Amino acid sequence: MLTYAATGIQPPGSTKKQTDAISGNGGAEAYANHCAICHGDNREGNLPGFPPLVGVDRRMTDEQITQIIRTGRGRMPGFPKLGQDELSALLHYLSIDDQPQPEANGSSSLAEAGGILFQQNCAFCHGRDTQGGESGPDLTQSRVVRRDRGGDQISQVVRNGRPEKKMPAFHFSDQQMHSLVAFIHEEQAKAVSKPGGRRGVEVSDLQTGNVNAGRDYFNGAGRCATCHSTTGDLAGIASKYEGLQLEQQMLYPTEARSHATVTLPSGEQVTGTVAYRDEFTIALRDTDGNYRSWAIGKVKYKLDAPVNAHVELFSQYSDDDIHNLMAYLQTLR
Amino acid sequence: MRSPVLLSAGLLLGLAALPQSALPQSLNSAELLHPSADSWPGYHGDYSGRRHSILTQIAPQNVGNLGLAWAFQTNQTAQIKSSPLLVDGVLYFTVPENVWAVDARSGHQIWHYTSQPTPGDHIGNRGVGMYKGWLYFMLPDGSLVCINAKDGSARWKVQVADGKKGYWTTMAPVVIRNHVIVGVSGDLDNLAGYLRSVDPETGQTQWQWDATPPAGTPNSTTGGMTWMPGTYDPELNLLYWGTGNPTPVLNGTVRPGDNLYTCSIVALNPDTGKLAWAFSVSPHDTHDWDAVETPVLVDGTFRGQPRKMLMQTSRNGYFFVLDRTNGKSLLTVPYGPVNWTLGVDKDGHPIPNPDKEPAPDGRLIAPDEGGLTNYRSPSFDPKTGLFIVDAHPSYSIYFSKPSDGAYGWAGADYGLWGKGTIEAIDYRTGKIRWKHEVGEGGSGAGVLTTDSGLVFTGDAYGNVLALDASDGRTLWHAGAGAPMQSSPITYELDGRQYVLTSSGGVMFAWTLPQTALHVKQPAALASR
Repeated sequence: MLTYAATGIQPPGSTKKQTDAISGNGGAEAYANHCAICHGDNREGNLPGFPPLVGVDRRMTDEQITQIIRTGRGRMPGFPKLGQDELSALLHYLSIDDQPQPEANGSSSLAEAGGILFQQNCAFCHGRDTQGGESGPDLTQSRVVRRDRGGDQISQVVRNGRPEKKMPAFHFSDQQMHSLVAFIHEEQAKAVSKPGGRRGVEVSDLQTGNVNAGRDYFNGAGRCATCHSTTGDLAGIASKYEGLQLEQQMLYPTEARSHATVTLPSGEQVTGTVAYRDEFTIALRDTDGNYRSWAIGKVKYKLDAPVNAHVELFSQYSDDDIHNLMAYLQTLR
Repeated sequence: MRSPVLLSAGLLLGLAALPQSALPQSLNSAELLHPSADSWPGYHGDYSGRRHSILTQIAPQNVGNLGLAWAFQTNQTAQIKSSPLLVDGVLYFTVPENVWAVDARSGHQIWHYTSQPTPGDHIGNRGVGMYKGWLYFMLPDGSLVCINAKDGSARWKVQVADGKKGYWTTMAPVVIRNHVIVGVSGDLDNLAGYLRSVDPETGQTQWQWDATPPAGTPNSTTGGMTWMPGTYDPELNLLYWGTGNPTPVLNGTVRPGDNLYTCSIVALNPDTGKLAWAFSVSPHDTHDWDAVETPVLVDGTFRGQPRKMLMQTSRNGYFFVLDRTNGKSLLTVPYGPVNWTLGVDKDGHPIPNPDKEPAPDGRLIAPDEGGLTNYRSPSFDPKTGLFIVDAHPSYSIYFSKPSDGAYGWAGADYGLWGKGTIEAIDYRTGKIRWKHEVGEGGSGAGVLTTDSGLVFTGDAYGNVLALDASDGRTLWHAGAGAPMQSSPITYELDGRQYVLTSSGGVMFAWTLPQTALHVKQPAALASR
């Protein structure tokens, strides 16, 4: 009902307000005319139906926001006739951040609020104290957290999730995100001030192997040299990765791409990296970046997935083999 | 063992005369014992945990025509992990802090209960239990709410676990006569797991069974959480429940021995909470492999002898067949890659390999922490004798060092690789009769079988699948947008069979087109 009412306001408003829309006030007025009825007078939203717009410019580009305003989304109607000036003023207004920023030293209540959110949404995987739990890594040792400044890195991961690692995306308001970030940083600071108490894996933990035995395994039983070369693709690998990350990459390189050649009924062949594959559909991205998909029953395809050699090795490794191989790879600086 | 049998037989006679409950939005004990085709009154359907339906309208020869009857949008970001109940034409399903009552014919919302925001882990909610006209729903903070099934209003709320200590609650309560049986979660702290029975009218505690000695007992374990609904044998009057991992989780040095009754299957008297027997599934677990997967109850022959059996595909990678009258092992065999044992002892318990406990420099472990399967239900198909499970062959590395301490997680582990495989296990031998690959990373979908020879499940990419139970071939599929994180159910209303599957925050009801039903009536009749 509310959304239809908003549609009704739209056409006269968009023409009448064009002149004063150029100023900052014009943006506020445009917002009040078109948006406030659903998204709230102060952009606070009305969940679950109407999302807050505070900080929307940090979640979306101006182009994306414009697109939504123009064409609508879900229950939201489009505003195709909104004048360009009024639109610009509105975009400017939406980019103004009047939320209180967390203070450097007075952040404990913010972190406390973040802590509650963390326990509800994150603790199962990342642990009550952010130091890792069921399936989720220790955030106090996370590169994302270490590089994060005021949420710029953490919020990316939280909002987008990490589908390849089965982390879901979360839809928090900006204020919630601030508090979550504050909590994670506070826990990280606590962890750093307590050496020895941390759970995680240090580079020094992974030094129990034997270099020569690792080299033998690489060239012999492990058959690593069949695909890899220490002077080619693996040259300098220990400078690129270290510790746990190196070991994970060694055991299963998650970013390895598979390739396939698809033969169409016409006999035409298409080769590319596999973009999607289930038992019904195969999709490739060709060398020009085009995405193409086919019903599996209608084509023939040949899959080239060298990463499967890593899967085959899982049942053959001893723990010593892994530690020795690590020792050897760590010499490839 | 005594009166319950007579009681159920008496109620059964009443049921025969009156196929549906007399009162709308109400459930009696007889319906729970023998659900009719138009109901799914408990988490598993009936008490057996087989998740098998006698319905045959949807069959291998017509499943290719299956289409959408309706979809229900929860409009929540939380995924549906619950198994719906169906009573008197109304479905009840949940996500944390939310319950919906939805018309099973149309997908129309009747009411929506939502609680005030609660602290506690919001990892998931498995659904509600029902007694007469009341629903029982657990909030993340350790409280149990009694809700009026007519309108979604709360009648009372009691605390069954202390959220401040680190417990949280997700499970679907199990109702047996006038017992509402609830379990708890919480392995981020060293806490004792327990199972509790509460009075359906008042919420007062009737009994509590503790999985371990109290926290702080020297050289003793804590843990053994009870976060999945168990199963029930009315003739033996025994409640079967799986218990979770011990704590501290990855560091076993401070809790020597088998750590009973963590990672165990236990048989309890539902009237008293008294332990009849227990079977240790993962003695001295150090890999977080809860043994809470559905204890499936099957009556059949085993090596030529009629047996009352209990079967579990456990998270630790082993398929167990027990005699459920006494908890003695009949079969223990891995159903996928497992590398953490030295074999199986004479009583059917896996023998943990001390060299595969988490270590400072890491140990390669199969399966991974999520296990070779997890909480989504398997299904037992009585016609083929196949136990069908969504398996997750996988590898990971486990670390623990003294400085990680002896509280809560006490270590770290990292999954390396995994995939999903629907496996059909012959319960007599443990041999895998067929496998159906469902994708990189693993699916997580539960399994439902029906008397017409169908298997309903899902793949890692969000496809809902109908497979042929005899060989695992795909007969039908539909992309639902997200992998299924729950277990399918089925029912028949107005002569139409429906299959319910969830994906993300959406519940889908699948059925045959009505035009097809007019042509093919015999299957519908056969299901009665």
